[in-house]
Amino acid sequence: MSDTVYGAKCTSCGTVNYPMRAVCRSCRNETFEPIEICGEGKVLTYTDVYALAIDYETRYLRLAIVELDDGIRATGQLLDDDPKLGKRVKTTLGVVRDRGDAPILGLQFIPI
Amino acid sequence: MKPVYIVGAGMTKFGRSEWSLIKLASVASLAALRHANLGDVPVDSVVVANMGAARVNRQTALGSALVDQLALYPAMAEAVENGPASGASAFKVGCQAIASGMASAVLVTGVERMRVVNGLEGTDFVASLSQPEVEYIYGVTLPSLAGMFARLFMDRFGVERKHLAMIAIKNHENGTKNPYAHIQQTVTMEGILTAPEAAVNNPPIAEPLHLFDCCPVSDGAASLVLVSEEVAAKLAGPKVRVAGIGQATDTHAVHEREDPTDLKAVRIASERAFSMAGATPRDVDVAELHDAFTILEIAESEAAGFFDRGGAHLAIERGETRLDGALPINPSGGLKAKGHPVGATGVAQLVELAWQLRGEAGERQVKGAKTAYACNFGGFGNNVVATVLRREET
Repeated sequence: MSDTVYGAKCTSCGTVNYPMRAVCRSCRNETFEPIEICGEGKVLTYTDVYALAIDYETRYLRLAIVELDDGIRATGQLLDDDPKLGKRVKTTLGVVRDRGDAPILGLQFIPI
Repeated sequence: MKPVYIVGAGMTKFGRSEWSLIKLASVASLAALRHANLGDVPVDSVVVANMGAARVNRQTALGSALVDQLALYPAMAEAVENGPASGASAFKVGCQAIASGMASAVLVTGVERMRVVNGLEGTDFVASLSQPEVEYIYGVTLPSLAGMFARLFMDRFGVERKHLAMIAIKNHENGTKNPYAHIQQTVTMEGILTAPEAAVNNPPIAEPLHLFDCCPVSDGAASLVLVSEEVAAKLAGPKVRVAGIGQATDTHAVHEREDPTDLKAVRIASERAFSMAGATPRDVDVAELHDAFTILEIAESEAAGFFDRGGAHLAIERGETRLDGALPINPSGGLKAKGHPVGATGVAQLVELAWQLRGEAGERQVKGAKTAYACNFGGFGNNVVATVLRREET
């Protein structure tokens, strides 16, 4: 269980590929250095989803895409009782999915 | 490339079915083969479109299974999986076989039997197409991607829930004219949006999308018979030519797209299809769009070039996309009312358009339709197949 979420920063053009991929989506370079996906940003969009996949016992999940101040965008769970478009949030890590024997840590967003 | 013609189209009623996966596929296939009336021309290739049988029906190698059911040996056969765009992808593979000269008559059948598992398992099976490390692990499902897309799109372009409801109302009304549609029921603005009981009738699925913004989960199959020019010349009946096919991809994770409201793969696939057809969006008389969620009908109709960005919801207000409008969209009822057996959908869109171009669409016939367009939207817009069909006068 990783306790950090990483993207891949291209060593040639600097584009952050998140998810990591074999070839940079901007310049086709194949070498990267890991970059931590964290920090502050704003909510680009969000939803309360009631049509859930397996592994969830809640009634709904609040999911968001957040644009971090360094320009990287990430999808994650929004822990905010008063969500709004453009609202400032910061990243934290928590269990985002639990298959019983294998809890998965991932990005959660909380209000600043 | 050699010309390709659609000479037969058939499908099962969509909905919940007691039939097995292969029974569904064979019923649709036989309907299309009867429609084509090939006589002594052998089917030399079978392409099956399906997304989830390996998981939900525990069956694989569907091309071989269908050939056996229909006793079409020694035809070539395979199955094509491309998420919710499996149908149009399989159609493309069938067209390529004829265009290259490798085959003269191809059966393309899309099938899905997904009501056999419960809702959570069904939603999860479709969600498995999302990016595994940065989307799926968070509980991302297709409705959640559509909900996030809708909130951003509606905020940017001034689309309101009433516009989404207008799509649902139109497509349900069209669905009542289609005996193959899963849902045979009209809905009203009061019933799903404005009356107090609307909150009960139309609960949220992925805010701002509600139940009547989402397609149902369906079983079903749809089938097409494709032939070469030489075979088509021997057959009676109207000729529908495959005028253009375009396909395009985009980033797996939605958050990596420069403008997440821009359905770039729809735009590029459509440009490619129109270019191959030597046509423009203005030439289209009838269209089938992939309205798995009402917002997608709006966004796809703009990306395909039928309306300017931010203009589709205004066209819907003016009734332009109704059956009696300037550009009828989803006369079949769309995924919204006809249903969405995932692997069958792309084929079913083209079945509807083939019927429309042949003048065989009954109560929902678009009069004099000559040119038709379909958008089969795979992933959440990361793999899209667009098709342009044209009726040829004989």
